[in-house]
Amino acid sequence: MHARSALTITSTQLSLPIVLAFWLILICPGAGAQEVIANDDLQCGALTQNQARLFFTMRLQACPDGDPVKVFVLPDDNSLHADFSKVVLGLFPYQLRQVWDRQVYSGTGQAPTTVRDEQEMIERVATTPGAIGYARSRPRRSGIKLLEVR
Amino acid sequence: MRSPQALIVAALLLAAARPVPAADTGDWWDRLQVHGFASQALVHTSENRWFGDSPEVSYEFTEIGLNASWRVTPRLLLAGQVLVRRAGDMYDGTPALDYGLADITLISSPAKRLGLRLGRVKNQLGLYNETRDVPFTHPGIFLPQVVYFDRVRNLILSSDGAVVYGDLYSDAGNLSLTVGNGRSVIDENVEWAYLNNDFDGDVTPDTNTWLASLWYTTRNERLKLGLSWASVRIGFEPDAGSPFTVGPGTTDLDYGVASFQYNAADWTLSAEYAREPLKWRGYGPPIPDRDATGEGWYLQGTYRIRPDIGLMLRYEEGFANADDRSGRELEALSGGLIPRYAGFSKILTAGLRWDINPHWMVRVEYAYNDGTFILSARENPDLRDQKRYWNLFSAQVAFRF
Repeated sequence: MHARSALTITSTQLSLPIVLAFWLILICPGAGAQEVIANDDLQCGALTQNQARLFFTMRLQACPDGDPVKVFVLPDDNSLHADFSKVVLGLFPYQLRQVWDRQVYSGTGQAPTTVRDEQEMIERVATTPGAIGYARSRPRRSGIKLLEVR
Repeated sequence: MRSPQALIVAALLLAAARPVPAADTGDWWDRLQVHGFASQALVHTSENRWFGDSPEVSYEFTEIGLNASWRVTPRLLLAGQVLVRRAGDMYDGTPALDYGLADITLISSPAKRLGLRLGRVKNQLGLYNETRDVPFTHPGIFLPQVVYFDRVRNLILSSDGAVVYGDLYSDAGNLSLTVGNGRSVIDENVEWAYLNNDFDGDVTPDTNTWLASLWYTTRNERLKLGLSWASVRIGFEPDAGSPFTVGPGTTDLDYGVASFQYNAADWTLSAEYAREPLKWRGYGPPIPDRDATGEGWYLQGTYRIRPDIGLMLRYEEGFANADDRSGRELEALSGGLIPRYAGFSKILTAGLRWDINPHWMVRVEYAYNDGTFILSARENPDLRDQKRYWNLFSAQVAFRF
């Protein structure tokens, strides 16, 4: 009797982390698989989540030392865009769209530049001064650096 | 604009337009954006006229907008939009400047922002006023009418003046405050709504409009709470010698809205409560001096079955006078000329929206109405002909770029 219950506990202890890991994979698809990328010349340092949100909602136009930023995003229905906005920014894609629309159609701000796919995103960020965007992983292309989001 | 004000504006623009030394992003056309939208609706009602000859089928609800914005520097944005709006007998589609402004950022950091908007600025009132004519930015073909009256939209739509805005971003959430003063851009619909007629003479704002709004949002912007307020006095200048007019009266109007919104992954819940204290003075016998408080509230849920398909359900109630919700006093006061159900509207609306792609959207909507408070007297001049219970069907197709 005693031996059996001890065994049961052991198997529960073993399976708990596995179950947790399984659920984490299920509920956070691609967690940790989005990086904020920037043009190599942009002097911005690491970003807070708040700062990243302000850049991508187009409410902050420049880095602390005055470098203007230019924001690139993927279409609303792109899965990388959805993962990036949820995981990195903590916003649903439709919320971003609402903020941009509000600004664009009331004259109080602008919308970011939308590019077709991740490849074009990487190309545009590498070649546009002040550009920031995002990618699945560190791009194998020169002219780009990663901005850490703390 | 008087010269001291013009000088201040010029100085501010110059200050904001200072060239940015390092790494100015690209060419000027790179920082110019042009956007626009167009929509066409079909409207049918069982009774009463709403946006044209709706008891037949009305196509007289068209919205077209074209805007341009130029981020001259990180601290200066110039923006303007032209709006063409056809709305039954209320608007005939004459192009109008919707907004035209210079937005000057004085302070901008990850912790705060302070700035100034000069020119014709859309009033930040409630969740939807700023972009109320852009179909993509609000659920439903028609906004909740008890808060966002279409029969008298211009009084609170925008103002020519200045708005100061300040934002605070912190771990506890974001606070946003705007305070503005300017001249309201008003039209004949204002006279129809507040004097129930089109008398010989001119309606003009007697004072500048004061505006203020305070918003709190959580960091992830799931929860949004707001208070917004506007105050204005409109005056009537009768045509000399005209038999069909009233005295040189004034109407004082305040308009306050409390707003709530919660955004979840696939649903959004919104609710707003609006109060509108009104004072009529000095028009003479046909319009006795009196006070009333207009009131309206709604609860609206949207559910996104898929990212491109949304369902909307809304219930709203509005009253011409919060102290006379049954409208009986109104009926008695008018000697029976105004039926009591013109004093309220209770509306249940259901709608379906499909975003076909980022540029095209279609939606359909049904509303059951009890009461005629939201109807325009301009479209339904004989109030006794209005029917208390009526159905509204509408469909809309909208495009944007």
